[in-house]
Amino acid sequence: MEKLNDLRFIIGLFFALVGAMLVVLAFALSYDIAFGKTMNLYAGLAMLGFGGLMLWLAKRD
Amino acid sequence: MHLDLHWPDYLIISLYFAFVIGVGWLVKRQVKTSNDYLLSGRSIPLWITSLAFISANLGAQEVIGMSASGAKYGLMTSHFYWIGAVPAMVFLGLMMMPFYYGSRARSVPEYLRLRFDEKTRSLNAMTFAAMTVFSSGISLYVLARLLELILGWDFDLSVLTAAAIVAAYIFTGGLTSAVYNEVLQFFLIVLGIAPVVAIGLYEIGGWDGITTKLAPVMTSTWAHTGSAEANPMGITTWGLMAGSLCSSFGYWCTDFLVVQRAMISRSLNESQRTPIVAAIPKMLMPIIVIVPGLIAMALPYFIQNFSLPTANDGSPDYNMALPSLIAHYYPTGLLGVGLTALLASFMSGMAGNVTAFNSVWTYDIYQPYFKKNAPDSHYLRVGKMTTVVGIAASVGVAYMAANFNNINDLLQVVFSFVNAPLFATFLLGMFWKRTTGHGAFAGLLAGTTAAALVHGFTISEGKGGWLTASPLEITSGIAQAYHIAWVAFVANLVVTWLVSLATKPLPEDSLRGLVHGLWTDGVLPKAAAEVWWKRPALLALVVMVAAVILNLIFW
Repeated sequence: MEKLNDLRFIIGLFFALVGAMLVVLAFALSYDIAFGKTMNLYAGLAMLGFGGLMLWLAKRD
Repeated sequence: MHLDLHWPDYLIISLYFAFVIGVGWLVKRQVKTSNDYLLSGRSIPLWITSLAFISANLGAQEVIGMSASGAKYGLMTSHFYWIGAVPAMVFLGLMMMPFYYGSRARSVPEYLRLRFDEKTRSLNAMTFAAMTVFSSGISLYVLARLLELILGWDFDLSVLTAAAIVAAYIFTGGLTSAVYNEVLQFFLIVLGIAPVVAIGLYEIGGWDGITTKLAPVMTSTWAHTGSAEANPMGITTWGLMAGSLCSSFGYWCTDFLVVQRAMISRSLNESQRTPIVAAIPKMLMPIIVIVPGLIAMALPYFIQNFSLPTANDGSPDYNMALPSLIAHYYPTGLLGVGLTALLASFMSGMAGNVTAFNSVWTYDIYQPYFKKNAPDSHYLRVGKMTTVVGIAASVGVAYMAANFNNINDLLQVVFSFVNAPLFATFLLGMFWKRTTGHGAFAGLLAGTTAAALVHGFTISEGKGGWLTASPLEITSGIAQAYHIAWVAFVANLVVTWLVSLATKPLPEDSLRGLVHGLWTDGVLPKAAAEVWWKRPALLALVVMVAAVILNLIFW
C-alpha cells in the first residue's frame, strides 16, 4: 500500500501499461495512414521505457 | 475535421480517468486537516512541486493556445517563455519566495494582509477568485467544444463528465491529489504530443524544412521587431519587452495558482528552487507547444492532404493546429494517447484553478468574513464544499463563454487586467518599506482602471474599443494585451508610490520578514545548501544563461 502512494510508481505503472498497449497494437492492427505502425511502435517503446524507469526509481528507494 | 476513435483509444482514455480518480482515492488517507487539504501539509518534494508548478499552467491556453500562436505569429511566441516566464520564475525563486515562504502566509492574498492590510488582501482575493473560476470555466468550455468538433461528442456530456472527474479527485484528495495528477498530466502531455513534433519534423526535413518554406519572420524571435509593421504580432522591441516582462512577472510571481505549488515545498530552499528548477523544462516547452504550430503552417508545402480548417470568418482556424496534426498523424492507439494528452491539459488547468480557488476562498474570504475561530474540521468541510461550488461555477462559466478566435489572446487580456498591476504592488511592497496599505490599494485600483482604459480605447481583432467610436487599431490581440500590461504596471507603480508618500508609514516592527532589509533575525533567510545545484542563486544563473543562449540561437 505504501508503494502505491509513491508518485513514481503511479506514473511508471500508467506509462508501462499504455506503452505495452501501443507496442501490442503496432503489430496487431493494420494501418491505412502513413507511419501508423512505426508511430505506435516507437511511441510505445518510449513510454514503456519511461514507465520502466519510473518503476525502477520507485523500487530502488 | 472529424476523428473516429476505436476501442483501444477509449481504453487508454478510460485508463487515464481511472488513474486520476485513483490518485485522489490513494491520497485521501493523508488528508486529516484543512492544512493537508488546502496546503498539502507543506510536505511535497522538490521534483513534484517543480513539475506541478509548470503543469498547473499547462492548461488550454498553453497547449492549444500556444500552438495556435505558433501558427499565427511564429517563433515570436517563444517570448512568452524566453523573456517572459523564465526570468519571472527565476525572480520569483530568488527574490520573492523568501517572503512568501518565510512569512508562513498560506496564500498570496494572505501575504498582502500581513504586509499591508485587510482591504488590500480582500481586493486581491476577490479578483483572484473570480479569475480562477473564469479560467477554469474557459478550459472546460474549450475542452467540450473541441470534443464536440473533432469527436462529435455531446457538449453537455463532455462538460459534465470532465467537471465530475476533476471534482472527484480534488474532493477526495485536495491539493495533494491535484498536484500528483498535475505531474502525471505533465508527462502525459509531453509524451503524448512529442510524437507529433518528431514525425512532423521528420516529414518536412527538420527545422530546415520550416525555415525554407515559411517567411523569415515566422522563424525568428527578435530580428523583425524593429517596427510593428514588420512582424505578425504587430509589436516593437520596446512593446514586446515591456509587455512581456510586465505580464509574465505579473502572472508567474503573483498568481497564487502557480505560487501555491512553491509554497507547499518542504523547506525554504526547496520553495526557492521550485520555480528555478521548473524553468528548465519550461524553456524547452516551445518544442512541444509552439513547434507544432509552425509544422502545421509548413506541412501543406510538403504534402497535399493536410491543411488547417477555416474559422467562421474564412481565416485559418489556428486553434486547430495541434488537433489537426494529431488527427493527421496518429493511428488508433496513439490517437487515444494524443487525445488523453489534450484532455489532461484541460483538466490540469482546471484543477489548478479550482485548488487555488479553494484555498483563497476558505482562508482569505470565508475565514475572515464569515466564520473566524472555528475548529479546523469546519474549514476542512468548507474546503471540500468549495471544491464542489468552484467546479459548479466553472460549469456555469463554460456555458456563458462566447466564441473567440484565439483563446490565448483572451486570457492574456484578462491576466493583463488583473496581474500586471499586481506585480507593481508586490515589487514595491517587498522592496520598499515605505509602501503603505492605502498606497497598495489605490495602486491596484489605478492599475486595473488603466488596463480597462487601454482596452477601451484600443481595438484588436474586434476586441476592445468600447470607450470610443474611433479606437486606436492594434494589429494583434497579444500586442494589445502587452500594451495593457505595461501601462497598468506603470499606473500602479506611480499611484502606489505617490499615495504611500502621502500616507502614514507602517511601523517597521510590523514589517519584519515581509520586506527586504527587515528580516526577522536581522539577516536574509538563506537555505543551507552543501552542493552547487542546491544553491538557488547558482542554479538561477545557469538557467538565465541558457535562456540568453536560446534567444541568441533563434534571434
